[in-house]
Amino acid sequence: MAGRRLPEKTGSRQTKVPLPNPSPVTALSVRSLRPPFRIGIDVGGTFTDLVLADADGALLVRKTPSTPAQPEDGVFTALALAAKALGRDAPGLVADTALLVHGSTVATNAVLEGKLAPIALLCTAGFRDTLAIRRGMRADPWDHRAPFPAPLVPRHLRLPVRGRLAPDGTEWEPLEEKDVLDAAETIGASDVEAVAIGFLHAYADPAHERRAAALLRQALGEHPAARHIVCSSEVLPIVGEYERIATVAMHAALAPRIARYLAALEARLKALGYPRQLLLVQSNGGACTVAQACARPANLVLSGPAAGVAALAALAGPETGEDFVAIEIGGTSCDVTLMRGRRVELAESLEIAGHPLAVPAVAIHTVGAGGGTIAGVDGAGALYAGPRGAGARPGPAGYGLGGTEPTVTDAQLLVGRLAPGPFAAGALTLDATLARAAIERRLAVPLGIALEDAAAGVLRLVTQAIAQAVEEITLRRGLDPRRFVLVAGGGAGPMFGCEVAERLGIARVLVPGLAGAFCAFGMLAADIRLDRSAPFSALLDGAAVAAAAEQLAALEDEARKELTGEGFDAETIVVQWEACLRYRGQHGSLRVAFGDAQGLRAAFEAEHEARFGHLQPGGVIEFVSLSLTASASLPRPSSRRHTHDAAPHETRRAVWFFGHGMMAARVLDSPPPHGMPLAGPALLALDTTTVVIPPGWAARTLAAGDILLEAAR
Amino acid sequence: MKGRIDPVQRALAQSRLDHLSRQMGHAMTRTARSPIFAQAHDFSCFLADARGFVVAQADGIPIHTGSGGFAVRAILRDAPGLAPGDAFLLNDPYLAGGNHLPDWVVAVPAFARGALAGFACVRAHQSDIGGGAAGTYNPEATEIFHEGIRLPVLRLIEVGRVREDLWRLLLANSRTPDLLDGDLRAMLGAARLGAAGLTQLAEEVGAAWCGISEAILAHAEALQRRAFQSLPPGTYEGEETTDTDGRNAALIRVQARLTIAASGEARFDFNGSSPQVEGFKNSPYANTVSAVGLALAAFFDPTIPRNEGRLRAVAIDALEGSCVNPRPPAPVTMCTVFLAHEIIHAVWKALAQADPERASAGWAKNLFGVMSGLRADGSRWVGYHAQAAAGSGAVAGRDGFDSIGHLCTLGGLAIPNVETQERDYPVRVLRQELRRDSGGAGCWRGGTGVHYAVRLLAPSTQSFRGEGVGAGGGYGICGGHDGAPGAMTIRFPDGREEPAPRYGLGSLPAGAELHADSPGGGGWGDPRARDPALVAADVRDGLLSVQAARDLYGVVCDVRGVIDRAATEALRAER
Repeated sequence: MAGRRLPEKTGSRQTKVPLPNPSPVTALSVRSLRPPFRIGIDVGGTFTDLVLADADGALLVRKTPSTPAQPEDGVFTALALAAKALGRDAPGLVADTALLVHGSTVATNAVLEGKLAPIALLCTAGFRDTLAIRRGMRADPWDHRAPFPAPLVPRHLRLPVRGRLAPDGTEWEPLEEKDVLDAAETIGASDVEAVAIGFLHAYADPAHERRAAALLRQALGEHPAARHIVCSSEVLPIVGEYERIATVAMHAALAPRIARYLAALEARLKALGYPRQLLLVQSNGGACTVAQACARPANLVLSGPAAGVAALAALAGPETGEDFVAIEIGGTSCDVTLMRGRRVELAESLEIAGHPLAVPAVAIHTVGAGGGTIAGVDGAGALYAGPRGAGARPGPAGYGLGGTEPTVTDAQLLVGRLAPGPFAAGALTLDATLARAAIERRLAVPLGIALEDAAAGVLRLVTQAIAQAVEEITLRRGLDPRRFVLVAGGGAGPMFGCEVAERLGIARVLVPGLAGAFCAFGMLAADIRLDRSAPFSALLDGAAVAAAAEQLAALEDEARKELTGEGFDAETIVVQWEACLRYRGQHGSLRVAFGDAQGLRAAFEAEHEARFGHLQPGGVIEFVSLSLTASASLPRPSSRRHTHDAAPHETRRAVWFFGHGMMAARVLDSPPPHGMPLAGPALLALDTTTVVIPPGWAARTLAAGDILLEAAR
Repeated sequence: MKGRIDPVQRALAQSRLDHLSRQMGHAMTRTARSPIFAQAHDFSCFLADARGFVVAQADGIPIHTGSGGFAVRAILRDAPGLAPGDAFLLNDPYLAGGNHLPDWVVAVPAFARGALAGFACVRAHQSDIGGGAAGTYNPEATEIFHEGIRLPVLRLIEVGRVREDLWRLLLANSRTPDLLDGDLRAMLGAARLGAAGLTQLAEEVGAAWCGISEAILAHAEALQRRAFQSLPPGTYEGEETTDTDGRNAALIRVQARLTIAASGEARFDFNGSSPQVEGFKNSPYANTVSAVGLALAAFFDPTIPRNEGRLRAVAIDALEGSCVNPRPPAPVTMCTVFLAHEIIHAVWKALAQADPERASAGWAKNLFGVMSGLRADGSRWVGYHAQAAAGSGAVAGRDGFDSIGHLCTLGGLAIPNVETQERDYPVRVLRQELRRDSGGAGCWRGGTGVHYAVRLLAPSTQSFRGEGVGAGGGYGICGGHDGAPGAMTIRFPDGREEPAPRYGLGSLPAGAELHADSPGGGGWGDPRARDPALVAADVRDGLLSVQAARDLYGVVCDVRGVIDRAATEALRAER
């Protein structure tokens, strides 16, 4: 499975944007909210979002600027704001809180900013350079001038230890304990704060790694590194030393910082009187406890966005189905994600700052297409849009913050989809003169075309790029995009939703009602989730299946013990067994639900046919590995509602639509009331986004407050 | 071309063509049978206009970039009466614009409004095409007839009907007919998908289509011209040699003379290159053009669209009968790796004179070959010693990659994990570790190459490809030094040692070991200008000896990398 880059929006750049006013979804009579409460808090690069659900599923949203130097400060500010809205104090709020789920960019930022702990690696003698050679893989071979990122461990701290296992775990050479003691001496004299241990074939037998860890811990004594010793056989027993060791090294390099942060957060919560466990969202969209996060901190790097994907499950309903492809479009990029049958589409690995992490993570396909995406004319006279963006400062020319290059937002302003004046809930002001000047000077004049054609041209290019991104993530998996409902989120997503859908033959577009704090809301929808795997090599037959079941049962036993040990109700734990299989001779493998030999063969063949378009009738199938997912369900809102109080205020203006050009459109400042669909051409100019309803489409507000757009048949 | 092209329509069309060629690539990886496609991506998908010029190409293997148009134009020349539903197949470099015989091209013409709109094509390396050796590479070949079945332009499908007799002929000429059958179908599926997309696009834009496709080519041409205009006008020469043709010791010289006129007009003249050789390294013209295209894309801005318009900005002269434009029946199969490597280097060296800042030092030549043997059940296993991959050259701002795939892939091929290697094949890898004092010294140093050692736990056959044995270090540039040459020995279970052959086949008993030092890449710039902290870090990391730090870099430090500042300043001031 190909690794992929982290979406831009999880970047750590702190932008100074004035705080928007409270969203109208909080305009409920909040003092009537009833405990017990459930709270999701998402610490993003710019804002810390809080979503609180009461016993009946009524929601309260609060936003406060993030505090990167002390991220926990933002968390407590958000809690204080929520408490105030409820007419309580913070201790009064947390005492009545049944569940507190937290997502954070702390791990993400540490990696992106290179603020990782200095670590050492104990590795098999003769193989010191696994992390430097990187299997020779280049993300973009053509860009050969780009260097590899520096390895997480410099060579002089990659310490060789003699001792060698065979692929089946038998010992080719015994562990040379003297080498471990030598390594301890080197580490003891260094500023290293954590140690990763990754020996060849340790997944097959952890004995060498365990012995080395014990010796090291003893020899290091009071040295800080003794507190964070991570063995590859413990945290990630998979075949493939590069990906395994790179992941284990990342766990180690994050461990000291994450442990400090979570300890501080837990201590302050306890001091407030919060009686329960703090939970964290992992890259796989599931939650875990603080202890679990400290054992595998690299599992947190996609924490926030993963919760946003998990939140798609809350959109499932009789009118919307449960298969979604989502476009989340912010200032710099568009993230495309998938959910099928309430299950988030996962990738087997991800890549962050050039480092591979072999942990299951939500599959996110990112393209450089956002509101701030810059359009221009290149040296040979050709129009382009993206991937470069103008960021928050100077931002689009129309922000009046000094930007001179035309962006997508400027184009939207020029064709009437955005109006001059207050923008993003009043945080910014749009200036049409500046937008017009930028498009004229940088696009219309050099191309020799009319101003509006230039602006519309930019929108056509970006719409096509987003549609192509959706095709990438669906067709590549052998899925037909027309089967899905397109979820359009983020500040700029609802402006593109219908026209992207039209290009793809998708007939329904959903704009979530809680677009402003979707990730924090997703945290309320998360379950506890634990992924475990073990290598298993055998040809697929009855005897192998029996042996595999035995091994899975042992894994399950451990997983259940871990979850019940953390205080989760044994009754609510659900375990799914899976197996990775391949035809003999293949290198890749496919993951299918576990079953008997016949069932496994059928499941494998069906998946192979769907993904690759063919199968080998009667082909020899072999096991590669076994895995399981254990989840414990958490209390969650039985339903949700957020209402839009005021009746919409209506105006008219000229707006450009694909295939129609400029035409008069109705503009409403809040969603249409229940039972009163709004037919295009129209716009919904909401506080934090604008929904474009082209001719031939109609919008209606669903009971939960989401807006469903449907194409006329 | 008449009328003005709408710039928005042009930009939309280019993005759609690029997207379409990527979709063809996904279809290939989804449907192809042999692992060479899904794992090594040894294929490319491209779209050509009605005149046979490539307008879009997905990111396939880099050495495929630039040769596709020759194949399409051969179809236009040799297959009159193109009709909807036709599909063509070809591979021959002498008869049909191919690059080498293993790469088969399937091309499907696309029609819009009753006229030819262009072609959708897939070029893919087949698992086996007959010839003198299994697996398409025959080091013993002295004529192209020894290298596999030759295919001129063939109408494989005639108005929707497969020519079954032809299909059977193709399968009859492969040692792996099942794979060939499946892969041909996958290629056809992907090409048809591309042709349907091309038809749809051409119909949507209507009469403007010809103008748009030409504008797409003209755009890349203009960008490439501007790139040449950024260099001072003049004549620049680059030369690269190799000492073996794969059969015999032979000095093969590739000479590239670049002339840039004040107008930006550029010409590569290869006429000083060696005559064609007996062994299988001869590079047919299409492959030579591709290698030049790769070298240019890597030297200049890699974001210039890699369509054929880019290559209209440069004339490429190669004398017929030379190693860069051989006459039949010279064998050619190795050319996509070696001579491509030498051609790219010669081009880079010429460009380096014009613009040293952007120069790339030489990539080392690989020395690893193929091993195979029989499993207990009689089936055959085949694997590469890819863990021995050599170092790359440095550029200003980055050291060479220490161990990376062939230059013709620009490092695009992954090296398997040792754990996977030991699970898949009866081997025990003894060592895979960076070499010391082997990367070419420089302000930016070359990649180190590796020590690679492996014990073969069962009897095996080795097909040696020791281009980098006793040679192969990448050239240094702008004052940088050459990388260290490679070496390889065989250790038999009785303790006997002998040097490994450059090319050829050999059988080894169980327990035999191969010990290789893969060559290092070249350095960029004066080593004495290298940041002393980087030199000291290499010493501390064991990649550079204290002695070499002092002698080559003028940095005085101890083995822990502690620098003696005064002594270093004094030593560096000496010159």
